[in-house]
Amino acid sequence: MEQDLELVKRCLAGENSAWEALLRAHTSKVYNLCYRFTGSSTHAEDLTQEVFIKIYQTLKSFDAAQGAFTTWLSRITRNHLVDHYRRTKKDRVTDSIEDKVERVEERPSASLDPLAELESREVRELLQAALALLSPDMREAVILRDLQELDYQEITQVLGVPEGTVKSRINRGRLELARIIKRMKGMKG
Amino acid sequence: MNHLDAVNQISEYLENQLGLATQAEMEAHFTTCAECREMAEGVREVMELCQAAEPLQPSPWLISKIIQATTGQRQPSWWERLLGSIRPVLQPRVVYGISMAVFSISFILHAANVNIRSLTLRDLNPGTWAYRANSKGHLLVARAEKYYYDLRVVYEIQNRLRELRNDQDEPKPETPKKASPGGAQGRSRNGSTELAEIPGFNRFSTRMSAADVLSMWSKRSLPR
Repeated sequence: MEQDLELVKRCLAGENSAWEALLRAHTSKVYNLCYRFTGSSTHAEDLTQEVFIKIYQTLKSFDAAQGAFTTWLSRITRNHLVDHYRRTKKDRVTDSIEDKVERVEERPSASLDPLAELESREVRELLQAALALLSPDMREAVILRDLQELDYQEITQVLGVPEGTVKSRINRGRLELARIIKRMKGMKG
Repeated sequence: MNHLDAVNQISEYLENQLGLATQAEMEAHFTTCAECREMAEGVREVMELCQAAEPLQPSPWLISKIIQATTGQRQPSWWERLLGSIRPVLQPRVVYGISMAVFSISFILHAANVNIRSLTLRDLNPGTWAYRANSKGHLLVARAEKYYYDLRVVYEIQNRLRELRNDQDEPKPETPKKASPGGAQGRSRNGSTELAEIPGFNRFSTRMSAADVLSMWSKRSLPR
């Protein structure tokens, strides 16, 4: 947290190396959030780039007193994702669960063990397909809590809703995910 | 605790965020409510699934793209961009192919006698190229043929001279000789064998030059 603050200060002083360090520290986090939300690596990369351009332009507005840099970053990312979701609402079609399972993309991971890689891919695909079927409100809450590992307070700041709402969305999201995953496993046989 | 309260607090129960008393109430409810128990198990599975999901890695060039889009750093020069665009082409087989093409073109240009530094309109006509290449080819063949015949002539000369020398060295049969005034019959002034007596001397002389032999050969006086 202190390190982020220092990097932000150096960025504002015009140090390009600090900006690069900030990018290296947080690109993966933003990308994962975008990917979990969109389910497409191409869209996730485009959105990550757009988020960081926005961050770069509004870095002066970051106030450390209001929360950590990661929380601010997550809030901007989330807002951008919501905008993107609204913008592309017309383009989306309702897919069936089977389509979702088939559509999940292959992505390389750090693991080199083929068995572990296969297992990890299955988990990823199942989770991504199930997440895609959640409503956006519940999806973002679950992603922030279970995949981005933010605490309730941070999620409250990111989403801008009361803590009770956050807890409710997370709980309902998890219950819904459990139902979807159970159905998917039943279909796969 | 009723069923609805239990359902609403499943996540908090699994995260141990409820007070001890509420936790105990939840556990008590689970012993009697199979539906809640099943839901709690499902939520636990979801949480474990999320924990097992490894973070995804973005493309390695994503950071560079963002840097270019923001600070504008690392803008490659035109040379780097050009090199980057032709990098896939710079493979051994492609380089070999290009070299062979250059060699072939230079060979054709040389055969067609085209000087690139002073090109004329006529040089651009493929017909001219074919004509020149044809002429050059014929010239080349003619030169090779001439060289071959020259070698043959030299060989013939050498052969004939060897024969003459052999003839010269052979002992002559004793023939009655007329007495000469000087007593030096059959001998030349320097004491060598009389050349006129050598067979074939009338046709060849040891003093014949190569030009004479060539001239004779051209008149088909030599065996071919």
